[in-house]
Amino acid sequence: MNNKIYKISPGFEKIMPKDYRDLVNDGPFDKKLGVKDLGTFKELIEEHPLCAGCGLALSKRLILASLPSPENTVIVGTTGCSSLSFAQVAIHNIHSIFGNQNALATGLKRALEIRFPDKTKDVVAMGGDGAIGDIGLGMVMHSWFRGEKFTTIMFDNEAYANTGGQESGMSQKGAVLNMAPTGKKYDKLPLPEIARAAGCVYSAVVTPARPKRLEKMVRRAVLLARELGPTYIQIYCPCPTNYKFKPSESLKRTKDMEKSGAYQIKEYISPAAEELIKKFEEEK
Amino acid sequence: MYFAAKVDKEKCNGCKLCILSCPEPNVIKFNKDDKKVVIDAKRCKNCELCVVGCPSKAIEIVLLQDS
Repeated sequence: MNNKIYKISPGFEKIMPKDYRDLVNDGPFDKKLGVKDLGTFKELIEEHPLCAGCGLALSKRLILASLPSPENTVIVGTTGCSSLSFAQVAIHNIHSIFGNQNALATGLKRALEIRFPDKTKDVVAMGGDGAIGDIGLGMVMHSWFRGEKFTTIMFDNEAYANTGGQESGMSQKGAVLNMAPTGKKYDKLPLPEIARAAGCVYSAVVTPARPKRLEKMVRRAVLLARELGPTYIQIYCPCPTNYKFKPSESLKRTKDMEKSGAYQIKEYISPAAEELIKKFEEEK
Repeated sequence: MYFAAKVDKEKCNGCKLCILSCPEPNVIKFNKDDKKVVIDAKRCKNCELCVVGCPSKAIEIVLLQDS
């Protein structure tokens, strides 16, 4: 994205909304800021309608702060809790029908390569566990088989939180929800392992309780997707509304899940990706 | 009339942990001059994650009167 696109024409500064002026004056575009700089610049997401204490909102905030070049990124969103806050995001984003995000991102990435052959444009497909793990699993896995060069990020809140709490494939075994009163009967889908087997060069699991690690993983995933092939990140997003705990306990719950082993932080890196990561770190 | 978080400037040591645990964007700002945080009460949703996460117990929830 060219700077001139979002800069305000002279004489119109006063009639633009305050949030827009803030974004132009101290937004993160072209500045190479990261998670450690949060609180000192205008963030790319604004007042969203998600619940108090939502882990998804926190994850999204951290992801948007850690994108390597937000001005050249396009986000593909899909139906779910995550889609409620896409209207407040100051990056180009597209809403696709439920589960279709990876098919749309495939076409978008190919079109951007033809339209801007001399520029690097990142495409990031973001969706909930319903869109990526259940309904869109066919599209997601085929984009990995084909080796499409974009990143897939899953906000895993372990339920269909937007529609009242049905169980999803990513819910833990035995989880009791509003619309799953007898408890879930089968195990959580091993999607990071499926991603590795399906051809992702990088697949990782992380929680928002570790912001620096999340930043590192998102950066790696986006940079590797530019060069090598598909990458996948799964982020645990505790949901206070459907799992019935206090909003103030959501980070404690995340840490408890890590300790009990129900949600392990892991990273699968292919040999080619490992070489490239070494190269990136040397360049730093 | 609503509840929102408030910082005690004397206790705040500027570790920025509250900024990394807040799900709401642009609520907690870091003031570079005195190295303390400032909370924008109008954007706060009162989830108390910053209160739980603050190591020096500098943040509390207060009742704000409508102005």
